[in-house]
Amino acid sequence: MRVLSTLRFTLLRLMRNYIVLLLLLAVPIALLTVFSVILSGMVDEAGRPYFDQTALTMVLAFQLFGGSTVMSYLNEDLFARNRERMTVAPFNRTLYAFSILLAGSAFSFLLGAAIMAYTRLVLGLVWANWGWTLYLIALMAVLSSIVCVIFVCGVKSFSTAERLSEVYGVGFVLLAGLFFPMPQHAVFEFMGSYGNPLTLSVGAVRAVEIGNWNEAWFQANIVLAAIGFLFPVMLVMGRRRLR
Amino acid sequence: MTLASMQSVLKRYGSCAALDYIDLEIHEGEIVGLLGPNGAGKTTLIQALTGILPVDQGRISLFGDSRNPFSDANKQKLGLVTQEIAVFEELTAKEGLEFFAGIYGLRREEKKKRVAEALEFVGLSAYANKVPHKFSGGMKRRLNIACALTHRPRLLIMDEPTVGIDPQSRNHILESVQKLREQGTTILYTTHYMEEVQEIASRVVILDQGQVVKEGTVQQLIETVRHEETIIFDVADPLGIPLRQVESIAGVRQVSVSGSRITVISAAGAGNLDRILSVVQQHSGVLGIQADKPNLEDVFLTLTGKQLRDREGSR
Amino acid sequence: MTIFYFTLKRSFANLANLIFLTAAPIACIFLPAGEGWPPLAYGYAYFGIVILFVAIRLAQIMMEDRVKGILKRLSVAPVRYFSYLGQHLLAYAVILILQSAVVVLGGWIAGQELHRPWALFALYVSFSFAALAMALAWISVFRSKDAAFLFYMSLIVLAALLGGIILPLEIFPDLLRRIAVILPTFWFAEGLKSIASAQPFADNVRINATLCLYALVFLVLGSTRRMQ
Repeated sequence: MRVLSTLRFTLLRLMRNYIVLLLLLAVPIALLTVFSVILSGMVDEAGRPYFDQTALTMVLAFQLFGGSTVMSYLNEDLFARNRERMTVAPFNRTLYAFSILLAGSAFSFLLGAAIMAYTRLVLGLVWANWGWTLYLIALMAVLSSIVCVIFVCGVKSFSTAERLSEVYGVGFVLLAGLFFPMPQHAVFEFMGSYGNPLTLSVGAVRAVEIGNWNEAWFQANIVLAAIGFLFPVMLVMGRRRLR
Repeated sequence: MTLASMQSVLKRYGSCAALDYIDLEIHEGEIVGLLGPNGAGKTTLIQALTGILPVDQGRISLFGDSRNPFSDANKQKLGLVTQEIAVFEELTAKEGLEFFAGIYGLRREEKKKRVAEALEFVGLSAYANKVPHKFSGGMKRRLNIACALTHRPRLLIMDEPTVGIDPQSRNHILESVQKLREQGTTILYTTHYMEEVQEIASRVVILDQGQVVKEGTVQQLIETVRHEETIIFDVADPLGIPLRQVESIAGVRQVSVSGSRITVISAAGAGNLDRILSVVQQHSGVLGIQADKPNLEDVFLTLTGKQLRDREGSR
Repeated sequence: MTIFYFTLKRSFANLANLIFLTAAPIACIFLPAGEGWPPLAYGYAYFGIVILFVAIRLAQIMMEDRVKGILKRLSVAPVRYFSYLGQHLLAYAVILILQSAVVVLGGWIAGQELHRPWALFALYVSFSFAALAMALAWISVFRSKDAAFLFYMSLIVLAALLGGIILPLEIFPDLLRRIAVILPTFWFAEGLKSIASAQPFADNVRINATLCLYALVFLVLGSTRRMQ
């Protein structure tokens, strides 16, 4: 109950964090709007608008950076400024950390959903399957939060953890081949397909669009498996750091 | 009742003993002033006493519980005002207090009431709906204190709560500390401002290099130290004063003249002011008198200087 | 030149900065070439974005000085503000010029098709000046280091997109192509196109001069507001 009482305040802090709103809401909306103007009317060989693919990739790509607020609040409350006060208080800090993870992931998910809504209502993009896309957004949000918690618990310096989270986000975007083609090598091919949460989630949504649910579930379950694998890692590292 | 105690507590950082077999007791109802220079171990002591820092040796007991001193039940009765200002910048003052009230188990009406009381207590009621990043340093410090008060702790530990703030805010904080004691809160107050401890503490513990050098009431500490009083007379005719007669008064150690000032150094507590004054008045008009009584600063400087030399000699 | 020397030291003191300042230009050398677009290999186009990021990261050192009160301390020392500013900008310019040299020279050694290496180097240098001046103007407006950097990062992405570094301007609608002209990134992309298509030298001079004009304008804006 005590930890539950803090959820309201965590959400308030998230909503008042204008930098997060800028980076995870305003910037993607601005970019999508620009892309929709640039790519308006352009279609690929299969007749699908280029903008559809771009919007999907962008909505999911920004989820890679959603864990940064979780990381920042955990550091501030449990390892830095509020550390002493929280240690002395009679409540479960592990649960509190978990509540921040949940709130941060939920917030990131909501921002992703808001961007989806924007593309539909303002830019006229038709999403094939809202539920499935939202599910993938949720998976990406949770994965990003877990990875960032592992970074902040695993390294002593918070700025190093921040840099690692940036490498995680930017790295997978680059490895997905969005900016330039990757070398023709098994490792890069793997990291650009089944080893990349971004390409996996984009692939899962694309598979549903063409009705290939087997492939869609397969790719989504790889992301889920990654969450399942990293979750206990996060628990162990978190407990160790909180001791 | 002893609310908190430390027995032979040792905390090392490498070869340096930050806490060197410390013994300390805090009894219910007192304000214990923990005095020491930077690096004495005050913050380390607090961190050890509150369970933030594990110790290498020794026993710590909170509210009579030495088996599990840092249990949730004991933490519920403990409040900590951190040296660093630890408030949520994005939440208003009221919201920040509600957060801490919530984690101490307060609910609904009780929580609202205690938050309002805490804000009133530190004089921030008018700023309840403002965010701290717009506050002055003194206001942030007061909010920092309020965060530790919503759950009405039995034992409140304040780690240098007046660092870097204006005199008005400092006075407000000191008054608040005394009010808390009247309300039944026991307080451990650390500072390196001697005048604060002199003003509010019922007992003083002097810490230096991880060791308790001396403890007692302010008066006891002053009396245990052999020290001198300095009395300065501003006189109309300094050359007319018979200095030998003044020097012959029992307890007078030294008499010197500088311009129109006669400085007399006498043993503390000798009560020589009347005797010296009568001699001076017989031979000259007295324009002004200044008497410096020994204070805690003199005690501290004497203790940490002399005692440490004695300790080094006896090793 | 104490400030100049220590600015260079401070620029490389931070590990993240050190990695970014050394690894990023080297990585740009080895990125592949596109088919038809961009006009040079990907790395040589994206190096423009790297320059923008490096400029704001370096300029944050001055922002740190303001936030931590070092600027206040210097203001009562016998150091003129413009000397402080000039030495900082000189140090940053040296770093960016060195990076540009590494990228161009490295590309030439690695066998990348650079068309006119000297012209490319000149383009990078003039864009570096513009980037530094923009970063200076930007930080003079902000009080928070993090907010300044994160807002600027968002702007860089948009400017790179709208200027034609990430996507070719030819596919843009007419309106966006006209708007793009006001962006320094547009002139950078134009410079790359001009070098790759062997345009007359006067064309390169015109583009570099435009970038230097941006540098001058932002420098005036950034230095008149004295970061106090």
